[in-house]
Amino acid sequence: MNIKIVDSWLREYLKTKASCETIAEKLSLSSVSVEKIEKVHGDLIYDIEVTSNRVDLMSVIGIAREAAASLTQSGIPAEFISSNPNPKTKSKENLPFKIENDPKLVNRVITVLMEVKIGDSPKFIKERIEESGIRSLNNLIDVTNYVMRETGHPVHVFDFDRLNLEKMIIREAKKNEKIITLDEKMHVLEGGDIVADNGKGQIIDLLGVMGTANSVVTDKTRKILLFLDNNDPNRIRKTSMKHEIRSEAAIINEKGVDPELAKQALMRGIELYEQVAKGKVISEILDIYPNKPKRKSIIVSKEKIDAFIGVEVPLKTSVEILEKLGFRTATKGNLLEAEVPSPRLCDVLIEEDLIEEIARIYGYQRLPSILPPLNSAKNYHIGNNEFYWEQRIKNALKYWGFTECYTYSMISEDLFEGPTSDAVEIKNPLSKDMVYLRKTLIPSLLEVVKENKGRDELKIFEVANIYEKKTGELPKERRMIAGVIKKTNVSFFEAKGIVEQLFKDTGLKKIKFKNSEYGGVGSSVYIDESYLGEVELLESNLVNFEFNLEKIIKNSSLNKKYKKLAKYPPVIEDLAIIAREEIKTAEIIDEIYMQSDLIKEVSLLDQFKETRTFHIVYQSENNNLTTNETAKIREKILSSLQVKFDARLKK
Amino acid sequence: MEEELINIKNSAISLILDASDLKELEEIMLLFLGKSGKLTLAIKELPKLPIEKRVEVGSLANEVKKTIENELNQKKEELTIHKKETKKKTIDITNPGVLPPLGHLHLITQAIEEITEVFEKISFTKVRYPEVEWDWYAFEALNFPENHPARDDWETFFIKSDIASKKGPMILTPHTSSGQIREMERLNGKPPIRMLNIAKCYRRQSDVSHTPMFHQFEGLVVDENIAITHLKGTLDYFVKSYFGEERKARIRPYHFQFTEPSFEVDVSCGVCNGKGCRLCKEGWLEMGGAGMVHPNVLKAGGIDTKKYTGFAFGWGVERVLMMKEGIQIDDLRILYSNKLEFLEQF
Repeated sequence: MNIKIVDSWLREYLKTKASCETIAEKLSLSSVSVEKIEKVHGDLIYDIEVTSNRVDLMSVIGIAREAAASLTQSGIPAEFISSNPNPKTKSKENLPFKIENDPKLVNRVITVLMEVKIGDSPKFIKERIEESGIRSLNNLIDVTNYVMRETGHPVHVFDFDRLNLEKMIIREAKKNEKIITLDEKMHVLEGGDIVADNGKGQIIDLLGVMGTANSVVTDKTRKILLFLDNNDPNRIRKTSMKHEIRSEAAIINEKGVDPELAKQALMRGIELYEQVAKGKVISEILDIYPNKPKRKSIIVSKEKIDAFIGVEVPLKTSVEILEKLGFRTATKGNLLEAEVPSPRLCDVLIEEDLIEEIARIYGYQRLPSILPPLNSAKNYHIGNNEFYWEQRIKNALKYWGFTECYTYSMISEDLFEGPTSDAVEIKNPLSKDMVYLRKTLIPSLLEVVKENKGRDELKIFEVANIYEKKTGELPKERRMIAGVIKKTNVSFFEAKGIVEQLFKDTGLKKIKFKNSEYGGVGSSVYIDESYLGEVELLESNLVNFEFNLEKIIKNSSLNKKYKKLAKYPPVIEDLAIIAREEIKTAEIIDEIYMQSDLIKEVSLLDQFKETRTFHIVYQSENNNLTTNETAKIREKILSSLQVKFDARLKK
Repeated sequence: MEEELINIKNSAISLILDASDLKELEEIMLLFLGKSGKLTLAIKELPKLPIEKRVEVGSLANEVKKTIENELNQKKEELTIHKKETKKKTIDITNPGVLPPLGHLHLITQAIEEITEVFEKISFTKVRYPEVEWDWYAFEALNFPENHPARDDWETFFIKSDIASKKGPMILTPHTSSGQIREMERLNGKPPIRMLNIAKCYRRQSDVSHTPMFHQFEGLVVDENIAITHLKGTLDYFVKSYFGEERKARIRPYHFQFTEPSFEVDVSCGVCNGKGCRLCKEGWLEMGGAGMVHPNVLKAGGIDTKKYTGFAFGWGVERVLMMKEGIQIDDLRILYSNKLEFLEQF
């Protein structure tokens, strides 16, 4: 969350000669990030990002205290000036109504009745709140915003005469109760929101989020109820998010405001109304405060501080820093005890929190950079490293001309194959296009083909997880590799060839291509008897493959075996065999191999209808093969092919 | 005599090898094999030898003659071919070469590869953990309070499934930090830990600077006496290795549930060199979060907090990629649009 702080306002609480730029730099390095400095009307404005744990810094006073601590540690004199508002008017009159509070919803209500005169705000209030990014309306509203920005506690004001109060009941909203907020928008409540009821069932405020139109001040207002409420942050967030009312009060309240601030804020409010609206207190101050925060101290040793930060910090320095930040400290030997100030009670809980306070103000930029020492390391085996193989496979595809894609894991119902009851489904998807977690990568890649429809030829691939639903446990995530080749008259064998080379490069053995289990022109691929994936011709210009990458990696190997180089030259011949087309090439090749140990290599050279030409390499380790020897083997091949497949040599 | 023959052979061969044209070769031939050539003269001396040596030396002389003739022929052939070649017409070497296929790895893959290398050099171990996670790993064990905004369904994707009694609802992990507890479990709570977890993450947002799916890399170091200075050392090493020697890093206070203290990490702007420009904030660019591991997180991972401390960081791959010079992508969603025109640039 961002906040704008006006420089002249800040300096009411911070005494220093440091320039605006120096203040910004020191704050950024040791406290909150000052994102920019703007110049307006001769004043300067810091635009500051405040982290969600430091809602105490959503205020001029909070920032002033931090700046004083940071500047001092950097050797620049600076003092935080604490404030003590001192209203002039007082009353002992009882409030003319009772408040029925629910401590589960609101931890502190502090309120007072005042007579006021509505009008314009004086220049300094108008300018400061407008420069802080808040619209100036009239003195009654402006004071609430002024006090909120100064102290960090949201403030509300009602037109008392419009409340029509019997008694004020602070309660949970019921489902479907309707309200109109002061910006004239109607909201139907979900139930559970914190509301104030005027005792007649009429809602007069959506507490901590935004006032309602029926109780807001108007130009006829003469009596106001100045009202500060400290609410349950979770309910505030729910209401604010649900109804998209992101008022500054809601943004602060949902982080949990220090209830201790409320009294000071109320007093400051009274003081300002006295100054700018002829305000006069006409009731006692009613303070309902069921659970005061408990005081808390943390003890930490110097050894722990030094070991954690990595350099020696004198205990005296730690004490100085903490005192500047509002902690009360005591030391005993090497032990430091610090009492946490109330605005920090939700945020400073353990030793490490205290060390952070010391370290950041001491200055992270003062610490040296040291690599963590390496005392031992696990043995490393590259061949067992899945990331090594994944990268190697990706590179292989790259050098075969493929371009890698990254598509979303979430897909639409249209892209999901099979019944969606099998799908891992997102409960709160961003759009209909991203509802299910995919269980195959191919549909996403085909979308990429569509996206690039101007390309007649392309080769793409992706490596990503797929998700398989399991009951009662996390889905099984499986890493897959998939690719698509688009090309006019593409052949099934172009994809098969890629896959074969991939297996060769990764050292995979015992690969079997079987007819596809899914029908169509395709093949299911196995290693041993275990299913690896699919190669498939989809259309005359589209062929794809998808494999279980984890299984490929599990079976891949960097082991190499040296074989002595051949002493005797091979004899090579090509045999044109006529065989029926339904006889598989692999079967013929297997049959040829079986005829002699001297056959070292058989491959298909080409095929035209029933004629297939095989390339055969004969080689012996013991002698030069004679024509006679090879002729005998050839005879054996031909007769076995004749018997087994009714095949013959083409003459 | 034998020695003389060997010398003749050697000097002939070396002259032949050095010959640069056919004319020179002709001269060498005459020098050794001509009527009054060295070898011819030597052979004429043969009859003067004692009978018993004549056969032996005679056959050596023959062999020398054959060798010289062979060498001459071979060289002649060589010189003739060479002569032809130099006569060939010249080629236009500016014509394109015959290109082997070359595809492209996605920018994210390239970044991940580079980041991995940098951290593996200082002994980080790369791991991978589930994308669909239990709330326990992504939030609960990381010290997120029950009502933290990140745990509501405006920010995190939830999976339709039963809620596990211990590990809570199933979600798409919104950060790689869920790997912290997984890694502590994998090592049975026994440091040293030097983890690098790079993975897909998911958050419910989509605009020019956010995509619902993105990538993070997470470092986790747990050991005895790990201090803030070690986080600074690791950070400086990464920034200089990945972005370049002239870039600087700094840490500022920040807030995360799972680290204490927490830091925001800035890297000096590569465009203006830290002077301040349109693309940066006063010379600095925000890289991401880091911090000392919160003791509650170490405890949830079964680590003895009396003995061990640690630091962690989690940064966006897309983010660091864009902070490199030359890759200022104005709409992050193009990374996952898979337009080839885009992918083929890298």
